[in-house]
Amino acid sequence: MKTLDDVLKNKIHGIYYGKRILLPFAANFLKIVVEDDVISDFSDSTESGVIIEEKENFTNIYFLEYKKINEAVGKFKGIKILLAEKDKDIFDFANHRKLVLYLREEHVVEIEELDKEIIFID
Amino acid sequence: MKKIICLFFVFAALAFISVSAPVYAASPDNIPVENLDSSHSSSEAHPLPTPYMVIPFIVLLLMIASGPVLYHHFWDKFYPLISIVLGLITAAYYFIILHDPSAVLHSVVEYLSFIALLSSLFVASGGILIKVDKKATPLINVLFLLFGAVISNVIGTTGASMLLIRPFIKINKGRIKPYHIIFFIFVVSNTGGALTPIGDPPLFLGFLRGVPFFWVIQHVWYIWIPTILMILLIFYLIDSRNKSGETSSEEYSGRIEFRGIKNVIFLLIIVISVFIDPGVMSWVPSLHPFPLGIREIIMFSMVYIAYKFADQSILKSNEFDFGPIKEVAYLFVGIFLTMIPALQLIAYESKVLHDHLNATTFYWATGTLSSFLDNAPTYLNFLSAAMGKFGLDVNSMANVKEFVIHDEIYLQAISVAAVFFGACTYIGNGPNFMVKSISERSGIQMPSFFAYMYKYSLPVLIPVYFIIWLIFFNA
Repeated sequence: MKTLDDVLKNKIHGIYYGKRILLPFAANFLKIVVEDDVISDFSDSTESGVIIEEKENFTNIYFLEYKKINEAVGKFKGIKILLAEKDKDIFDFANHRKLVLYLREEHVVEIEELDKEIIFID
Repeated sequence: MKKIICLFFVFAALAFISVSAPVYAASPDNIPVENLDSSHSSSEAHPLPTPYMVIPFIVLLLMIASGPVLYHHFWDKFYPLISIVLGLITAAYYFIILHDPSAVLHSVVEYLSFIALLSSLFVASGGILIKVDKKATPLINVLFLLFGAVISNVIGTTGASMLLIRPFIKINKGRIKPYHIIFFIFVVSNTGGALTPIGDPPLFLGFLRGVPFFWVIQHVWYIWIPTILMILLIFYLIDSRNKSGETSSEEYSGRIEFRGIKNVIFLLIIVISVFIDPGVMSWVPSLHPFPLGIREIIMFSMVYIAYKFADQSILKSNEFDFGPIKEVAYLFVGIFLTMIPALQLIAYESKVLHDHLNATTFYWATGTLSSFLDNAPTYLNFLSAAMGKFGLDVNSMANVKEFVIHDEIYLQAISVAAVFFGACTYIGNGPNFMVKSISERSGIQMPSFFAYMYKYSLPVLIPVYFIIWLIFFNA
């Protein structure tokens, strides 16, 4: 599994299909913001509408409430994520990273560290 | 965006058909009344709708209030459909049962003007970035909101809200709470814009009817100042108790950076275009029966141009998205159409009871209805009712000017209430919903429709507005 730093440094993309996003790293997710949905319930219950599955080389995120996740976010607005990288101390706030996923054409997910100008209250 | 464009064409076509269609005689089953809606000539007789036709409006308001709280995902998916269907039920009633398409036409034309102004200000201000690298304190926040209140009279409450909400959230990073956003809605998105016809749509409609441009500032500033100061004082007291983020070691340069000068020019064009109307400048051609005027065409063109030529990095920093304006566009389709019967019935009752109406009645009635209905038509209906007290016609500019000179307290009460009370609910004024939406997307958990009222607008605004009534309108 790639580290998050590798992914950001080498600009490695994720992919998306329908309601599913595949990210090339593993992490402990704390909060996801899609449109007005602020999601922090990642328990097994599907009430929050999000399921996260960690695979050997990537992480699956299913957005159950959306038929096509790319239609939910605009060109200049991505999906914001607050997470702690796998194997890092989740209780240390210094390890909390803010990312934004831009869903581009041809199923490409651009992964960027959140610009400090973009507001994301964690 | 495509859906919005389709919606626009559907409504333009509806308006065109309405205006081209012959106006049928009123059904004998209906009671013809002289319509107080300023859209119509006072000599025209219009059938009064049955009170049952208020039901679609009530259903829509209840769904707007309960949808995001009780059935969030269903509402997110289906609110455009619900809003349009309820609106079309009302439109069909006017077309088929009352044979009175002109009421629908007028609402559609007003809706197009409303959405032209809101969308153009929204898009143009979305291409402007204000970076404030400063830590917020209660005093800085008060000054920020005061600046927003003043600027909202120049670029409208919508433009000011879109321009300032992000910097306001940013400077409060680490200490932001829902009350920050709600006081922003109170001051910048509503009460601030009471000084000029550009500030808020109802005053703009009054200006088009003949209220002199500077009448508002001359007669409202001494009501505006204590109102703003009282709200800001309450905000200051609440914000002073917020100790969050005080231990943060983050350093601030104190620098303020402004980017997007092109869009400032677009914003200016939109503000100037407000005056390009045959009612204001006689040389401006009317495009009747086309439902748009030159002004609306300029505004809609600005939507395209401001988006096309905006700096992409600014749009990205602002996370620009058509979502908030799309939400407003869809919801207000339903609101504008379903409120036609409610407004006509109010106008009728106002006329029947006009001898009993005084400044107090106009202040509280305009205010209460502006909290839940769109404040622009509410303003016009009460202006019409107030003028009716003196046998004057709102459709005559000369009559409006005469009314303004001799009976200013009524217009003051109606103007102030229409603008101020728009802050009482999320649906009271267009920018309220946009600010809420942007804040939620930034991760701030905003209160529900009802919580907004019982936690904030009832305990904060109503006492302030009561004091204003006591001082200025309790004669």
